Amino acid sequence: MDENNVQCENVADKNLEEVANTVIKFKPPLYRQRYQFVKDLVTRYEPKKVADLGCGDTSLLWMLKFHKCIELLVGVDINEEKLQRKKYKLSPLIGDYLKPREKTLTVTLYHGSAVERDARLLAFDLIACVELIEHLESEDLARFPAVVFGFMSPAMVVISTPNSEFNPLFPAVTLRDSDHKFEWNRRQFQTWALEVAHRYGYSVNFTGVGEPPDGCEHVGYCTQIGIFRKSLTKEAELCIPEQQEEHAYDVVYTTTYPSLQQPKYRQYAVVNEVVSQVDNMRRDLLESLKPQDNRDFMGLPQDTGRPGPPVQCFPSVLAQLTASLEKTPKPFCVGNVFYVPLERLFSLPKVKHLCINIEMLRTLLADAVMLNSDGSAVMVAMQEQDQDE
Amino acid sequence: MSGRARVRARGIRVHSQHALEVGRPQASTESTSADLSHSDAPSSSGSVGTSRTSQKSKSDSAGDAGPTLLGRDGRLRRDLVDASVCTREKLAHVRDCKTGSSGIPVTLVTNLFTIDLPQDWQLYQYNVTYTPNLESRKLRTALLYGHRELSSKAKVFDGAILFLSQKLEEEVTELFSETHRGEAVKMTLMLTGALPSSSPVCIQVFSIIFKKILKKLSMYQIGRNYFDPKKPVEIPQHKLSLWPGLAISVSHCESRLLFSANVCYKVLRNETVLEFMTSLYHSTGASAFTQACEKALLGLIVLTRYNNKTYRIDDIDWSVKPTHTFQKRDSSEITYVDYYQQQYDITLSDLNQPVLVSLLKSKRNDNTEARIVHLIPELCFLTGLTKQAVSDFQLMKAVSEVTCLSPLGRQQRLARLADDIQRNRDARFELETWGLHFGHQMSLTGRVAPSEKVLMQDHVCQPGSAADWSKDIRACKVLSAPSLNQWLLIYSGREENINESFLSCLRRAGSSMGFNVNYPKIVKVQENPAAFLRAIQQYVHPDVQLVMCILSSNQKSYYDVIKKYLSSDCPMPSQCVLTRTLNKQGIMMSLATKIAMQVTCKLGGELWAVEIPLKSLMVVGIDVCKDAQNKGIVVVGCVASINPRITRWYSRCILQRTTTDVADCLKVFMTGALNKWYKHNHEVPARIIVYRDGVGDGQLRTLIDYEVPQLLSSVAESSSSASSRLSVIVVRKKCIPRFFTERNHTLQNPPLGTVVDSEATRPAWYDFYLISQVAHQGTVNPTYYNVIYDDNGLKPDHMQRLTFKLCHLYYNWPGVIRIPAPCQYAHKLTFLVAQSIHKEPSLELAHSLFYL
Repeated sequence: MDENNVQCENVADKNLEEVANTVIKFKPPLYRQRYQFVKDLVTRYEPKKVADLGCGDTSLLWMLKFHKCIELLVGVDINEEKLQRKKYKLSPLIGDYLKPREKTLTVTLYHGSAVERDARLLAFDLIACVELIEHLESEDLARFPAVVFGFMSPAMVVISTPNSEFNPLFPAVTLRDSDHKFEWNRRQFQTWALEVAHRYGYSVNFTGVGEPPDGCEHVGYCTQIGIFRKSLTKEAELCIPEQQEEHAYDVVYTTTYPSLQQPKYRQYAVVNEVVSQVDNMRRDLLESLKPQDNRDFMGLPQDTGRPGPPVQCFPSVLAQLTASLEKTPKPFCVGNVFYVPLERLFSLPKVKHLCINIEMLRTLLADAVMLNSDGSAVMVAMQEQDQDE
Repeated sequence: MSGRARVRARGIRVHSQHALEVGRPQASTESTSADLSHSDAPSSSGSVGTSRTSQKSKSDSAGDAGPTLLGRDGRLRRDLVDASVCTREKLAHVRDCKTGSSGIPVTLVTNLFTIDLPQDWQLYQYNVTYTPNLESRKLRTALLYGHRELSSKAKVFDGAILFLSQKLEEEVTELFSETHRGEAVKMTLMLTGALPSSSPVCIQVFSIIFKKILKKLSMYQIGRNYFDPKKPVEIPQHKLSLWPGLAISVSHCESRLLFSANVCYKVLRNETVLEFMTSLYHSTGASAFTQACEKALLGLIVLTRYNNKTYRIDDIDWSVKPTHTFQKRDSSEITYVDYYQQQYDITLSDLNQPVLVSLLKSKRNDNTEARIVHLIPELCFLTGLTKQAVSDFQLMKAVSEVTCLSPLGRQQRLARLADDIQRNRDARFELETWGLHFGHQMSLTGRVAPSEKVLMQDHVCQPGSAADWSKDIRACKVLSAPSLNQWLLIYSGREENINESFLSCLRRAGSSMGFNVNYPKIVKVQENPAAFLRAIQQYVHPDVQLVMCILSSNQKSYYDVIKKYLSSDCPMPSQCVLTRTLNKQGIMMSLATKIAMQVTCKLGGELWAVEIPLKSLMVVGIDVCKDAQNKGIVVVGCVASINPRITRWYSRCILQRTTTDVADCLKVFMTGALNKWYKHNHEVPARIIVYRDGVGDGQLRTLIDYEVPQLLSSVAESSSSASSRLSVIVVRKKCIPRFFTERNHTLQNPPLGTVVDSEATRPAWYDFYLISQVAHQGTVNPTYYNVIYDDNGLKPDHMQRLTFKLCHLYYNWPGVIRIPAPCQYAHKLTFLVAQSIHKEPSLELAHSLFYL
């Protein structure tokens, strides 16, 4: 047993030197692994309000903005100029307007420091401090726990920082960044973290990213991470900060994503869905009225050699729809006007999802499409008008 | 008139000028994409043979790294290159004054705003070098922008050149900074110049400043223009979303700096590729689906929902499903479903959809294999309007109802923009730091040229409106029309009676305009292009004057086969008419009149004239376009008048194998045209005025250096004694200014014949704007004329009047058109050749307007 251990040590030491001579590269790059770590936390815990202290070039925020669960995403950094330059990266894209998200999302960037109190950072579900604390001067580091844990007091804090035990694997490095004020080993970080957690009523777990190379496992992860979770028992006494209205941060940028929570976008979504469904129904009816022998109007040669329809789900989806539709009043045609009862439209899953009741559907449709006199059905022309002047 | 021709004519008349962006494939829609953009569409794996060598480097994802001042190739924007070409100084007669004085003055409101700046304002240009040298533009920018010394100063930096509005204390300034890794970097700023506000570089910097300002107003950049995503106009019936936007620019006009804004729209499609496929499946059924789908989708540009990038659909891979795996950058395998779930929190709803395949060509060099990207239909939006959509009358009507803004509507939008710029704190601050002041909307005085009389054979007609005098000339005889004695009528439809009634209308219409139409030989053929061709080959003989084909299908193949054969193989005027057009109720007579006029021209007849005070003047129109089939071929169309009355034309089209749109065959053409003139008039023309259309930005210099000398030398060679005097005028259908006039307490389009030759023009050019078209809907687009060479020494007044007169002479439309007739003829000719014939038409046809 002892022998084995000794051997291991030897191997490790040898590797340590060897590795130090070759450049260690992480795949994916370490910064991406750190961001991915936070992203995974978001996937797992689905926080609504998330802040990134020391958000830098806003890359992490950019990754997080895709999450459906997040409703408020905040970045704070002391480098205003950088925020100014990067802010538009976080603005909604064309696709965000065309297919608005389900829940609201507001993204705000503040110019400010992680050791200043700002009431707008209260009541968050997750605050990330990725590679932040090692940039703090000792007096700021001393104030940091009181602000983040004591004042902001979010449900969860994730803090990452370099693990100095890993540094010998890098060629000739004392500190990894010239702006680092310190780099802790695992014991130093864990001592600090446990102390903070204890004082502010959090529990803490330790992990990391950046696996050490084979044979060097003893140095631990390249980046060490502490995940702090607020203990429910202590919450009551700590969650009332004294000065609610402190606004130390300056807003650099704020944007609200289009979402179905906004009446305008909900209406667009409902109208778009209804109009296209009504059109489908109308075309179906027209098609069924055509004599069978005219149906090869496309003149396209038969598909050869492919078993079954290429997009298999379409028929099944249609079948499903048909089943749920059958119970509702059918569309009908009077003269050249095609009527689709709202009741039938309301039974469409997408429409149902967007409207609470038929009344709401009627209100949303009222100024966008033609309704019959008692407002019970959508009206469109059965045959398209002649396409000429 | 064939359906095709009718569309053309309508195109000319309507031109309700609104910049309509139909979402054409913009290579990159201003990527708001992050540095993390390598998490873009996953590259496919294994079976497709992916090469992932040409990953986009991070520095490619520009957009936020500060504006690029100079283009990627390090040159000035192309229109600014033109601005530095000074042509006016060589033209003695307009050096002091290029404005005319005749006509009725009219006060015009413009879309131009003044930008005021201090008299002695200068832009200081610094060259920035880094020691040690840094490659990354991003890093260079970050270090420079991050430096305390510059943080409060107004600046524009493109990675090498820095522009400041305030001079630094020293000519050479050294700044020290540190990279993230702790490397010390020295930045040396060396003053290399002080530019006046009128310099082209300065104009480009101003453009960048105003782009910043529009960004601050929460406008969204797509391509070159800015759009307001918060005020979309939805057209759910066609699944369209129209974003109102602005095309802005800064230019230096006569004595001042002007900011211009034009209203435009971005047409976005609120439909994913999957939705499109589903509805296609719905309408075609399973058997024809695959083919219909590929036919409809291949070649389209799609926009991805998650990272805002545009891709071209090169193929559809039906064998790959979202549940299949691909290889990520770190060579791990992941399914598409999981990838999108993890990366973008998107749950794919349809696990059986195929994938779209796009080939990304490397921008750096052509050696590397194209990279294959797989895209999920559900996550791709269609962009732009398909051909099918454009030909959908209802759809286009719905779009134009939104996009055709009346002058008043436009004015309101401009006023709102000006207001926004002046109210927005950030925007104002940006301007102030540069020392600029956003001034007032400019008004100017234009002049309305008197209306022209239309000369018919025995009647002088003063049209009620120059826009359309078809009613005014209804009972008048055309100037000259050869009798149509022997001709062929070939048809394939079943409706003989329609043919009969059409023929009788045609003959009636012909006789009332003095055009004698005999009864044709009628041939019925099978309904396919080859049958038409066989019939033509069989029945055409030297005495036949015209072949008329009645087509029951609008398919291009019929038209192309007929036109190709009869334009070059067997030169003969031809006329195609669609059965559908003939079937329309109540328009048979007016249709027959139009066709009779067209046929008259095709046989070499003349319809009408206007008074031309110059006695021996030849006018020439030149247009250039690319061949539709072979992009390496440029089609040059030249049309010259061959009689002093300007009613007869010599038309020639030359194909040229070059990459530029510059004509190098002008000598061949001009010599031919001058010979023709000499043959008809027994002398050389005293004056020649050439209107050159189809000129792109940045080509002005080449035109002057390359095309004008060709014209000059052929003119010089044409006669030993008296040489003709030459003028060359560049015609631009697109220009920045818009003019409105106030009438009846509202804003309207200015009257036809309005000329603007001051304030909105350029000091270095002999240029003017002319409004010679009517916009029934929306705002009229003025045509811009730039006289780049002028031996004739006509007074500006006369040049303007003559140009307006020439807009009356296009025989396919009884009214004025937006460009001089020779240009429109040249355009029509190049269009026919580029789209249908693809080779040079026979010279036997050169004396007639066979291409109308």
